[in-house]
Amino acid sequence: MSSELGEVHGLPPEAFREQVRSFQFWFDAVQGYLEGQEYGHRDHPEAPALDEDERERLITVLCNYCVGETAALEGAGGLIRLAPNREAKVFLSTQTVDEGRHLEVLTHRMRELGVDDVEAAIARRANPSLVRFKQRLLDLIERGHWTSAVFAQNVVLEAMEFAVFRRHAQVADPITAEVLAGIVKDERRHIGFGENTLGRALRDAPAVGLELRALRRELDSLVLTSLEHTLSDLHASTQEKTDLSRDYLQAVTRLGFA
Amino acid sequence: MSAGAAAEAPRRRYELDDQGFDEVPRRYRKYYRRWGGPADELAPNEVLCPVCKVVVRSPRELRPGDRVYCMACMTRMRVVRTDNGRLEAEVEY
Repeated sequence: MSSELGEVHGLPPEAFREQVRSFQFWFDAVQGYLEGQEYGHRDHPEAPALDEDERERLITVLCNYCVGETAALEGAGGLIRLAPNREAKVFLSTQTVDEGRHLEVLTHRMRELGVDDVEAAIARRANPSLVRFKQRLLDLIERGHWTSAVFAQNVVLEAMEFAVFRRHAQVADPITAEVLAGIVKDERRHIGFGENTLGRALRDAPAVGLELRALRRELDSLVLTSLEHTLSDLHASTQEKTDLSRDYLQAVTRLGFA
Repeated sequence: MSAGAAAEAPRRRYELDDQGFDEVPRRYRKYYRRWGGPADELAPNEVLCPVCKVVVRSPRELRPGDRVYCMACMTRMRVVRTDNGRLEAEVEY
């Protein structure tokens, strides 16, 4: 029956996985939405100037996005060595490129907002919880913990970014909104890779779940603290904060860590 | 029509058109569209990917037990009918 549902849905699982994790697929996919952009956006002559308070808040938020993206850039690159097969290594090479692009477009946006010393701004404004999260992620990779590192990076970190960036893109100025919308398109692949990789690992070796459950308890406090600060800078309502926290938790719930 | 009879009836066909979903290679775009939020009513040939919130489309009406793929987040899903009668997708690892 599956072949009647269209050429995509009729693919055997292994063939589908090999195709979507390939560099060729990545290239054909990103071409569709990056062509015609420069540093993640087109010209927006209609974009209104931000007032000083909005600008300051946006710079702080972007600084924290840069911490997350730097963690993901170093993390994805480091994970290539640990990945258990060629498909995963190739996919992580595409994720590494994505994360490098994210960091570049975000820092470029900060320069457009008048930030001369981006590194100093990030160091001054970064949320300590997010910095600790980054250190913990890189420590997991340094010690060769593949499943824990994929969980920290492609489930916890990416799920938080996916939830926050989608919300922010809906309320941001037109330039920032386009930059974030492009990042969200990349993040879909990253969260899918994480959830599917871990879902299969848990199916084949349920004991892995104990280790990940403990790690989730540790990382949740760091991520949710950081999420709270960022959402406050974005003037999110209490209801929106609750909804976004729920969105973030959906992936870990599907994996059985509710 | 009873649920059993509906399951045996021929599946309705749908002509898929490219709705501008630019996150997958061009030849696969017609199988996906953006989700408009909770008010976006899905057609009988559509389910929402629970992982990345993209609408997955098929040229045939979907039924419980069907397997579909979300190329945007690389996820395999099984179509299920919920208690309220709606079709939803559950992730299969």
